[in-house]
Amino acid sequence: MIELQHLSKNYSKTVAVNDLTLNIQAGEVFGFIGPNGAGKTTTIKMMGGIIEPSSGVILICGVNMKTEPERAKSKIGFIPDQPYLYEKLTGMEFLNFTADLYEMNNEAFIQKAQDKLDMFSLSDWSNELIEAYSHGMKQRLIMAAALLHDPEVIIVDEPMVGLDPAAIKLVKELFRSLASEGVTIFMSTHSLNVAEDVCDRIGIINKGSLIVTGTIEDLRQHVDVMDAGLEQVFMRLTQENERA
Amino acid sequence: MNDVITLLKPRVWSFRSRIFSKREKAKVLKHVFLGGIGALFWGGIFIISLRVLRYFKGIEEIGDLIAFKLLSMMLIIIFSLLIFSSILTTLSKLYLSKDLPLVHSLPVSGYKIFIARWIESTIDSSWMVMLYTFPVFISYGIVYQSGLFYYINMALTLFPLAMIASGISALLIMLAVMILPASRIRGLFIFLGLSLFIVLYIAVRVLRPERLVDPEAFVTVLVYLEALKAPALPYLPSTWAFDSMRAMLSDSFADVLFHNGLAWSGAITVIFALILMADHIYFRGLSRVQTAQGRLFKLRILDHLPFGSYLSGPVRAFAVKEVRTFFRDQTQWSQIFLIGALVLIYVYNFRVLPLEKSPIETVYLQNLLSFLNMGLVSFVLIAVTARFAYPGVSIEKEAFWLVRSTPIKLKTYLKVKFFIYFFPLLILSEILIIGTNILLKVTPFMMTLSVVTLFFMVPGVVSMGVGLGAAYPDFKSENPGQAVTGFGGLVFMMLSAVFIAAVIILEAGPVYNLFMADIHGRALSLLEWVWIIGSFTVAFILSMLAVIIPMKFGERRLSSHLI
Repeated sequence: MIELQHLSKNYSKTVAVNDLTLNIQAGEVFGFIGPNGAGKTTTIKMMGGIIEPSSGVILICGVNMKTEPERAKSKIGFIPDQPYLYEKLTGMEFLNFTADLYEMNNEAFIQKAQDKLDMFSLSDWSNELIEAYSHGMKQRLIMAAALLHDPEVIIVDEPMVGLDPAAIKLVKELFRSLASEGVTIFMSTHSLNVAEDVCDRIGIINKGSLIVTGTIEDLRQHVDVMDAGLEQVFMRLTQENERA
Repeated sequence: MNDVITLLKPRVWSFRSRIFSKREKAKVLKHVFLGGIGALFWGGIFIISLRVLRYFKGIEEIGDLIAFKLLSMMLIIIFSLLIFSSILTTLSKLYLSKDLPLVHSLPVSGYKIFIARWIESTIDSSWMVMLYTFPVFISYGIVYQSGLFYYINMALTLFPLAMIASGISALLIMLAVMILPASRIRGLFIFLGLSLFIVLYIAVRVLRPERLVDPEAFVTVLVYLEALKAPALPYLPSTWAFDSMRAMLSDSFADVLFHNGLAWSGAITVIFALILMADHIYFRGLSRVQTAQGRLFKLRILDHLPFGSYLSGPVRAFAVKEVRTFFRDQTQWSQIFLIGALVLIYVYNFRVLPLEKSPIETVYLQNLLSFLNMGLVSFVLIAVTARFAYPGVSIEKEAFWLVRSTPIKLKTYLKVKFFIYFFPLLILSEILIIGTNILLKVTPFMMTLSVVTLFFMVPGVVSMGVGLGAAYPDFKSENPGQAVTGFGGLVFMMLSAVFIAAVIILEAGPVYNLFMADIHGRALSLLEWVWIIGSFTVAFILSMLAVIIPMKFGERRLSSHLI
């Protein structure tokens, strides 16, 4: 479903992402973790078609992001870490805008939009301008918009930032439920608890390079500490990488 | 006082870092260019002021009266400008700045934060007004052969004027925040301020102040002199500044001391009242601003825009979004209102043109003016495009990730932007050209030529605006309207001016030939026909290239822009 082949991104002399190769199957929740400045957001932006890679290939459901960007993007629900939106639109208008972009049927839109607004507890705010929303409400609106067109792939950067505990629980359950329906989720996070609870597989990135991928059990075996939590595994792996 | 100084330090340090940073040093050429334009403008004001004042000084009996009347009017205008500029700056500094939560979390009293912010705001809002009015006051010093004390007194007079203006603005803002939502006040004040400016401008224009130097236009000399001698309002701070400057120019030092005393005691009183009031209501107002605000007005028409099914989904999505966000931004309304008023003033100026008094044949002059008018309308078009179409991409701000992550081609996105601005700007340009041509009573040929030329030039200018705005976007700016002051904006203005000049020059020769042949009733030679057709063809090709190249350039640069 998601295939990254030798993906690299350089900002003049800085290598943000270095020769990243990954393969994520349909229905899998993949957690992408790493320290600040490791290259997580750059990778996610390249996958979402927001920035161009310096080299390498991105395939979304077999569609090449470089050669057919519109078709690849139409399969993605993209959720960035910062909820920057059009502040002068209402929540419902923003959903309508998204539906038009993904060429959704108007009748299907109304029902779906209402469902998503209910799901993210935004119904009472649907006719208010987004500028009046809190940070968490904007984040929930972006999630509602990203799910509106039934994407086959969800790419999400720091999904829990700004959400209240109830919304965090909702999002965790939602991601698991979507994965069981065959949706592929690629998620970057700093929250190791979330990664541990939701992800089938985890990739750890440091200084632009992927150090290791696998299930939590695989990672534990990798550092040879079988009873450790993800936090301890993460610290060991990144410290080893720093020393190397 | 130490706390206030500490609170001002980040601003001073950032300013210092900016001056000495390597990135800024790398932009030497840009700074020299912008500084050069600023210096030219300053010099221009100085030369014009000097010439005007020397001319007035040369008029016997009433020369000084006119010069002092002008000084009085200047100071009233400066005072109004300072208040208007302070209102916008103070509102941002005191209530809307992003660093306010951090500053208010520090262990410092609210009134000290207020004082630090007010000092910053006073400097920010007044330095430029002051800088560009100095040449006028310096001209008075030179023409009236004043000594060093005049220039010292000039600073001593203008300083309290700026403090009083900024103080009054802060008082008004603090009261307004207690009643209205702060996020709406900016738009409201811009709207009210511009309305006031437009009404004043139209009033002044209709009164035709040029008659002030023409005593014949008045019924009697007595009425004229009375008009000049009418005193300014004594309780206006600008009057205190004026009285002090006039006394200094007339060498009455006792009067200088009295009026300066009045100005300074006025400033101190305003500051005292300001601090007292800030201590009581500033923090309460700031707390009100933190809560979410509802809409001030609801434009129902925006809920159901008539963009039918003939547009594809993504195109409709962006077209609807553009129109809604544009009309819900109150700062845009005031700009539209301002443009409407400028159109009226522009057309009115043509109505009062005394063509019949000209020594040149009227038919010839009317057509010549109509030709020049094409150029003038095109320059109005550049200005309006710079304000609206150029920041069209930057206005997405940090929500630009939406454009990049959705399944729409950048080319399509830029085309939507182009058409959103093209139609209104075409209508505006054609109204201007047709309206003024009707008033000039030009020939049907000139009318057709003007309308067709504008029809082909507007897409080129709009394309340059949208394309270069996309090539040099500024998504981080709080005010995307200012994007045009950057490098890309300068390139846009220069290129579009060159484009317009080229088209007009290409048309000028053939049109003159056609016109003269018609007047003299002679037929055109084959060579003249080739020249005419060739010129118009090159103008047409130029207009097409002006549409295609900037959009492609913008698309290419924007696709590699890092978010």
